[in-house]
Amino acid sequence: MTTAAPPKPISLEHVSRWYGNVVAVNDISLSLGAGVTGLLGPNGAGKSTLLHMMAGLLRPSAGRLLVLGAPPWQAPAIYRHVGLVPEREAVHGFLTGREFIEMNARLQDLTDAPAATARALATVDLLDAADRPVGTYSKGMRQRAKVAAALVHDPPVLLLDEPFNGMDPRQRLHMISLLRRMAAEGRTILFSSHILEEVERLADAILVVYAGRLAASGNFREIRRLMTDRPHTFLVRSSDDRALAARLVEHAAVFGIDLGGGRLSVSSSDFGAFTRILPVVARDASISLYEMLPTDDSLESVFAYLVRR
Amino acid sequence: MTTIATIADVTLRALLGRRRTILLLLLAGLPVLVGLLARLGGGRLDAAPILDALIVRLVLPLTALVFGTAALGSELDDGTAVYILLKPIRRWQIVIAKVGVAGLLSGALAVGSTLLTGVLAGGVGGTSLGTTFGVAVATGLAAFAYTALFVAASAITGRALVFGLIYVLVWEGALAGILEATKIVSIREATLGLASALAPKSSGIPTGLDPSQAVLLLGLILGGALFVASVRLAGYEVRGTE
Repeated sequence: MTTAAPPKPISLEHVSRWYGNVVAVNDISLSLGAGVTGLLGPNGAGKSTLLHMMAGLLRPSAGRLLVLGAPPWQAPAIYRHVGLVPEREAVHGFLTGREFIEMNARLQDLTDAPAATARALATVDLLDAADRPVGTYSKGMRQRAKVAAALVHDPPVLLLDEPFNGMDPRQRLHMISLLRRMAAEGRTILFSSHILEEVERLADAILVVYAGRLAASGNFREIRRLMTDRPHTFLVRSSDDRALAARLVEHAAVFGIDLGGGRLSVSSSDFGAFTRILPVVARDASISLYEMLPTDDSLESVFAYLVRR
Repeated sequence: MTTIATIADVTLRALLGRRRTILLLLLAGLPVLVGLLARLGGGRLDAAPILDALIVRLVLPLTALVFGTAALGSELDDGTAVYILLKPIRRWQIVIAKVGVAGLLSGALAVGSTLLTGVLAGGVGGTSLGTTFGVAVATGLAAFAYTALFVAASAITGRALVFGLIYVLVWEGALAGILEATKIVSIREATLGLASALAPKSSGIPTGLDPSQAVLLLGLILGGALFVASVRLAGYEVRGTE
């Protein structure tokens, strides 16, 4: 007898969302299980739209989106099991941290709201400032108050939109260890970021979105390798560009040379190999290297490459 | 503390921001000042025209507009509404709390202003006290219809303040003198109808709508606005997503 695998906490099948003629999320299918997943993409890629649809704050224009087995749109009951940390900074600044978290606990109808509030405040290391108005908090403290508000009811699914914004390095480390700890307890945690290093430090799995499409998904190391091993183009300046070009063209890692406009442009399929052979080739030919500049190393171009793959 | 009480508590504290409160207290104090000047001048004015012109036509709709649009609209605009929306609670509970608090605040200001102005301007003799009482009760009830309307407008559009100003200044103001039919759906006319029914016969309050029509209209606007706001909030899509 075979038993069907339990459904994933979050699943999307061909989900799209558009605003008039603008497509914000384009035909995305994915499923998320327990653990920390990073949602990586440049600003405007559709990350917040995806998170808001998962949180029931936006209706998908097409496709099927389920959170814990049910569509979250117009289903407030789901919020007993889901927490969202929105990107927008605004909180009720006139409330103290404790009042703000307790308001969230009461609206979750928790039996002992003050105790749940104290636990959430301790979890985000905010007990010392708990009785100060949230309006007087630093950006990082406010971010932690938002996280405490989202986890006060101990939800199995936690969605965080750019949670590290405004945090100093110490707060980031604290937040990373907190999220890891929560994931180890079996929660499904999805956080968005446009900073590769943040995702690298925290996420077990990664979703890359670009221009509304899912550009890549899976294990972080595999995607990191794809990002690193993509074709790169470099501008090289040396004491003899023509001679250097003649030598470089013989190497397998180099697949394109352009000397137009008085500049040496080299295309390589292997970032690591090229950066290793270039100084060796130059030294062997007694050519002085002045500059080597990657021309397409922005995260934007990395995402564009992943989409084209 | 129940869900509605929790939301009402936060809404009350949000609405009583220092600048907004001072501004509205000044507005509500304007008719009182007129009444005080009348009293200091030694004369005894007829309270009815002052209450009609300054309370029913000015203080009541404007305080209700400010509180009604701020109660929900401000939170939807700045994003703090998500901390209430992302909870396992029914949307009508949110709307009831918002309308309740905004209605109480604008009603308290309008009623307080009415009582002080009426007593200062008209004294407590003759029909004056009855007139003041009639207007106070009517404005107190109408405050909830106005704020419900403006809370519903906030749930529908991000430009609820503009809608409210057009409703108060154009529909109830300019058009009322030209198109008689607009009075049928005018909270102001219902307020006057109710006030004149409650006040002594020779109070001088404009008659407005028939009392039964007035009660029906206020009830319909209140109920309809609560329903529309709840439905809109249930299908609310967060603003400002990328």
